[in-house]
Amino acid sequence: MGAMVALAGATALPFVELRANRLVPGAAHSVAAAGPWAYLLWLLVGVGFLSAVAPTEKARAASSTASGYGLVVALAWGIGHAASTLLVGQPSAARVSLGAGVWVLLAGTAILGFSGGVERRRKLVRWAGPLVLTALAIAAAFAWGGLDRISLAREFAVRASSFWTLLGGHLAMAGTGLGFGLALGVPLGLWATRNRHVRSVVLGVTGVIQTVPSLALLGLLIAPLAALSQAVPALRALGVRGIGATPGLIALTLYALLPIVRNTYVGLAEVDPAVIDAGRGMGMSSWQLLWRVEFPLALPLIIEGVRTASVLLIGITTLTVFAGARNLGILVFEGLGQFAPDLILLGALPIIALAVVADVALSALGRALTPEGVRA
Amino acid sequence: MIRLEDVTRRYGDTTAVDSLSLEVAEGEVCVLIGPSGCGKTTTLRMINRLIEPTSGHIFVDDRDILSMPAEELRRGLGYVIQSIGLFPHLDVAANICVVPRLLGWEKSRMAKRVDELLALVGLDPEAYRDKYPRQLSGGEAQRVGVARALAADPPVLLMDEPFGAVDPLNRERLQSEFARIQRELKKTVIFVTHDIDEAIRLADKIAIMRDGKLQQFDTPEQVLNHPANKFVHDFVGADRALKRLVRVRVADVMRSPATVLADSDALTVRVGAGRRRFAYVVEPDGRLVGWVDTNEVDRGLRPVEAMTRMDPVEASVRPDDSLRDALSRMLGLGFRAIAVTDKHDVLLGEVTFAAVEEAMTEGDEHISNQPAEDAE
Repeated sequence: MGAMVALAGATALPFVELRANRLVPGAAHSVAAAGPWAYLLWLLVGVGFLSAVAPTEKARAASSTASGYGLVVALAWGIGHAASTLLVGQPSAARVSLGAGVWVLLAGTAILGFSGGVERRRKLVRWAGPLVLTALAIAAAFAWGGLDRISLAREFAVRASSFWTLLGGHLAMAGTGLGFGLALGVPLGLWATRNRHVRSVVLGVTGVIQTVPSLALLGLLIAPLAALSQAVPALRALGVRGIGATPGLIALTLYALLPIVRNTYVGLAEVDPAVIDAGRGMGMSSWQLLWRVEFPLALPLIIEGVRTASVLLIGITTLTVFAGARNLGILVFEGLGQFAPDLILLGALPIIALAVVADVALSALGRALTPEGVRA
Repeated sequence: MIRLEDVTRRYGDTTAVDSLSLEVAEGEVCVLIGPSGCGKTTTLRMINRLIEPTSGHIFVDDRDILSMPAEELRRGLGYVIQSIGLFPHLDVAANICVVPRLLGWEKSRMAKRVDELLALVGLDPEAYRDKYPRQLSGGEAQRVGVARALAADPPVLLMDEPFGAVDPLNRERLQSEFARIQRELKKTVIFVTHDIDEAIRLADKIAIMRDGKLQQFDTPEQVLNHPANKFVHDFVGADRALKRLVRVRVADVMRSPATVLADSDALTVRVGAGRRRFAYVVEPDGRLVGWVDTNEVDRGLRPVEAMTRMDPVEASVRPDDSLRDALSRMLGLGFRAIAVTDKHDVLLGEVTFAAVEEAMTEGDEHISNQPAEDAE
């Protein structure tokens, strides 16, 4: 399956595009532009096909993993080769951008890698090794293989200093929103388990918030915040304004609420009533019961809610630039404004990477914090 | 030890418990019994203040329980419930130590106590202390539940249908083990059940309730022989004579048996067996191996040649078994008498059908002070 996708990407679609400058459309070049690396790409796609026909489970996993990782490395060097050769004799404004074929190849690669069981490997050492080697090979392609000459890398070079600030801003924004969401959501979820009226109100309201489009919510927040900041100078001194980080943070906090409140509520409500009865009957106070029994049992679900919220917030943070926040969204929307696809990518790729990392890390944290006695 | 004075609990218009007065002496097992909805569980839960009485007073050890903090009260009352309510995220040792931990015991003392209690309830400490509740069978989990209730050595045990969710075979074993533990520890026990056989077997006093009102509060013998009203009469059932047998222990009615040594000659057989037609054949160490028709021996056969071998486990009862066990075993085997052996298969005596009949009709004679139970 993965090999089929990779093959289609490698044959039918343009590999790279050579453009006169960063804005105009350019001329497509096939995989042949990768020079000698093209042969390696073909070879690795072949190995990927082997994974479909190999006789044993182990051989299938090995060939699909090998072709998955190998393709990433071969792609990095192949693109680098194409960029260096195509740009020879071109004016300095000329750009080499990644073609559709590369993305399809990468998709195929991801399928190959995952079917090789990457996601099933819980032991860090077992998947960290190939991952580090692959990363090193890609870094080497940047240093010596010409990968630094593609358009995406040059967009980065131009904005290197602001890129890191924006990445930091993105993390800070999503992280703060998540923190507020936690600080508010967990107590609300707890309250909902203790009071039937609170439950219907809290779960209802957080559910409704989730249905409000994020841009609309941001827009709705700007006017009242501006008025508030005008009226209360103390808030103004704190940096609360209609435009800036404040409306974004409020929106993010609100969006984080639903998954966190709901999972906290469900996690706590699902604790066996017999366990609570036994705990109370043995003389535990409400606090002792909460801290020693209810929270430990609900924790895996709460973390699951935090995971959902974090992925959601990393995405929505992008939109907060419309209300004046500064983060990776700026690159995306500047890129859109300038019709500069590689600038969009420079913003979008790290956002995707952040979301994936948050997802993986919080899944791992959830597993680690699941008490041994209740592990599936 | 425990005194209820005019205790009433109302829920809106319904009265769950209606001016109930009871007194349970120290070291006594008081069984609360009645059809569902009769108020027995409500009564139990008022004693540890999981439910507060609408009016009336409850005294534990002459202290009005409403005058002490609920948590402190509960830590002194062991609590066992049908659904057990072990904490799924804690291992067996930690589950047992819930109350000791609340009381601030030292680690070494808790570890020692865990092993003591596991041994007491018939679980190997080595094998069980690190297990998690989900790794236990229903019977094992309920043993841990009992051990947990006993952890801080409370003078009082409150048990709410503790063996109700266990299969019948395991229930009987748990009942006899409970009887053994109770003989050893002499706790004051309030025990809720809807199983009249269980009540008759374990109780020193039975409190029969209906619609929140006490119908009769007396010893099992009195309840069986002199039911206070038609409800009690019907509730106890038509087989009262048979039930009475549960209260009589084999040890109380057994007689000394006629025995012959397996290896003896015909003459000694005649002397040993006296006038009896059948004699038990034993090894020199007293172990039961079979029975012999003394007429056969008259024809010159040695006991070892003439005897019918029998499996002592199948064909004998223990001194602590109830007469009902003895009767059912006799009926199953088609014998008019059954051997009584200890756990090493050493013959101790025999119980005849005539003795069972006598106990059934005479009722009050031979009734032991201890509940009948299976010996180990």
